[in-house]
Amino acid sequence: MQLERRVVLSAILSVSLFWCGIGTAQAQSIRVVTTIPDLADITKQIGKELVDVESLTRGVEFMHAVPVKPSFVPKLNRANILVAMGLDLEISWLPALLEPASNPKIMPGQPGHIDCSTGITVLEVPRSVDRAEGDVHPKGNPHYNLDPQNGRVIARNIADGLARNYPQHKALFEKNLAAYLAELDKALVRWQGMVAPLKGTKFVAYHSDWAYFANRFGLQQAGSIEVKPGIEPTPNHLVGLAQKMQQEKIPLIIYGPQSDRYPKQLAGQSGAAVVRLQSISGGAAETDSYVKFIEHNLRSLLTALKKG
Amino acid sequence: MNSFALPTPQLAALAAFTLLLFLSGTGLAQNTELESLRALVKGMEQQLQKALQRIDQLEKDKGATTTRVDQVERSVKSTQSAAGLLNPAIGMAIDATAEQRNKAGGTFNFRSAEIGISASIDPYARGYAFFNGSGDGVEVEEAAMVTTSLPWNLQARGGRFFADFGRLAKFHPHEYAFVNSPLSLERLVGGESKADGAELSYLFSTPFFLRATVGGYNKLGAENERLDDTKSRAWSRFTYLARLNSYFDLTDNQSVEVGTSLAYTPSIRIASDPHGGSRTLSGVDLTYRYQPLGSTLHQGVTVGAELFGNSERVERASGFRRMFAPGGYAYAEAKLSREWAAGFLYDNAPSLASPGKKTHSYSPFLTWNLSEFNRLRMQYSYLDDKVREDKAERGHQFFLQWTTVLGAHAHGFRTR
Repeated sequence: MQLERRVVLSAILSVSLFWCGIGTAQAQSIRVVTTIPDLADITKQIGKELVDVESLTRGVEFMHAVPVKPSFVPKLNRANILVAMGLDLEISWLPALLEPASNPKIMPGQPGHIDCSTGITVLEVPRSVDRAEGDVHPKGNPHYNLDPQNGRVIARNIADGLARNYPQHKALFEKNLAAYLAELDKALVRWQGMVAPLKGTKFVAYHSDWAYFANRFGLQQAGSIEVKPGIEPTPNHLVGLAQKMQQEKIPLIIYGPQSDRYPKQLAGQSGAAVVRLQSISGGAAETDSYVKFIEHNLRSLLTALKKG
Repeated sequence: MNSFALPTPQLAALAAFTLLLFLSGTGLAQNTELESLRALVKGMEQQLQKALQRIDQLEKDKGATTTRVDQVERSVKSTQSAAGLLNPAIGMAIDATAEQRNKAGGTFNFRSAEIGISASIDPYARGYAFFNGSGDGVEVEEAAMVTTSLPWNLQARGGRFFADFGRLAKFHPHEYAFVNSPLSLERLVGGESKADGAELSYLFSTPFFLRATVGGYNKLGAENERLDDTKSRAWSRFTYLARLNSYFDLTDNQSVEVGTSLAYTPSIRIASDPHGGSRTLSGVDLTYRYQPLGSTLHQGVTVGAELFGNSERVERASGFRRMFAPGGYAYAEAKLSREWAAGFLYDNAPSLASPGKKTHSYSPFLTWNLSEFNRLRMQYSYLDDKVREDKAERGHQFFLQWTTVLGAHAHGFRTR
């Protein structure tokens, strides 16, 4: 009987210690919520075992039409840190979720809110803001993650933000940052070599969110399927665009999470290749990290143009 | 053998010595080469490290410079137009219809021009207001303060606002998926859940979304004429609300939202009824959404339904009597493309005095979104009306609705 009691007591003690251990481990990890998977991946690379990171979006969404899901609210409520792209990329859904989340620590302007756009050289800042020009971004093009050189700035902002909130771990964040930047630099050299045959290639985009990508890899946007940002094409616009593509021998149409109806129709009329690229990472095994996502986009481009 | 020939043992010794010298010389040369190679690699590593550090430093400097430029630009802008920058976000929704009702005739119906403004008040609260101008005049639909930094997951709201009753009662009509407010909502709730009062919400610390709201108001319902908003009253004549609301992701693409609400008024004084009595309005709402994450722009289905029950003393031919009137609506809307959506609304609206008499309505509708801010909608409705209170609420009806939004006009989390 005594032996049985001892066994039972030991079992209870072990289970209690195990749960205490889990509790302590959970209490120690920094809960980080990011708006897109790119930021989650980079935060994991910098925070390593100190952070418990979750992205609100999966990576397949159109960033201007992310559903306002109440299931995001408890995640934001429990977060120690929120990492966001800024430049109003999340304007249509994040502010609506922050209010019911009741977490003052991560509100914009607070130390727990890391805005990764700090220090980015912003492209396509409009001279005037008028909805007659479509659904323009008043602060400029917010898709800066498509330029891997900006990945360096994002990583630096995340490391600084984590260190601001947890200064006791600053040295570790800096060390992990240096290792990640070295990996990114190596990949950047490889990518520049990969896309050398694409330099100067003209393309038509469904939505104008590829400026940073084109700028980095030497592509030229020559038109868009949308009449204006956010405005679907008219039949006349598509006819004019197909004629322009034939005259200027534009070989490529790029689209993202939009319907493939118009890109395929235009490809049929102009003979151009069509490629679907991702504007954020995630959504598939081959794009489950920031580096893999850039690589996947470049390989998709090369395959589409039969230069891979 | 010649005279220079060495004896064999000596020759062997010399050969062995020479070979040893040669081999040791080669070994020494190899060691030196290896060492120099190692030194070269080490030097290159150091140079690479320095280069990476330099790149990192340049990035930092660039970031700092850009930040400084941003700060200077912001500073210049703020001195140039400090007052302008502090202005709240402002926007307006315009909603108009052309209508043809076979029992009442046709009209151009200017439904509303709704101006909304919103801004942070300070680090502790946000304020917003909606002013609505329509054929009936101009009124303050909402003007409320909401806390943003209360502890313990609490949030308070005060002023005039749409109380947290049900789902559709918190929508401004221009946000509906269809043209008209369901008659069940109009008769049982009194249209929008407009109320003067205060509310407190609590977000439960559960892994899924679960929120409770309690509130106290002068009265609830924009068209509710039972009580006067402007007069002081006893505690028994306020309306008290409790609501529980939850949401579950079934998959990445499918979700269900459920809610249950209860609004209780202990005592309603009706002029000709000396007893008055309480009023209880209850509701259950259910919303299913299919939102394929990769194509939310051009695909999706929403199915929404609400059931209401109203219990109060009402005047009948035989005198005053407590009656329970149940009713509700259900609709489904499918997004066919980025521009087009189609759906169907069924509504079951009872008479409060004679709940057995109902108005059933059936309304297919088709929406054309020219852009995110400009929308045309066509709707046909057939109303099978047994209540016979208003001839505009029966027979065949056709609507063409044009709704536009100017500026920053958002109703936020409530109307998701």
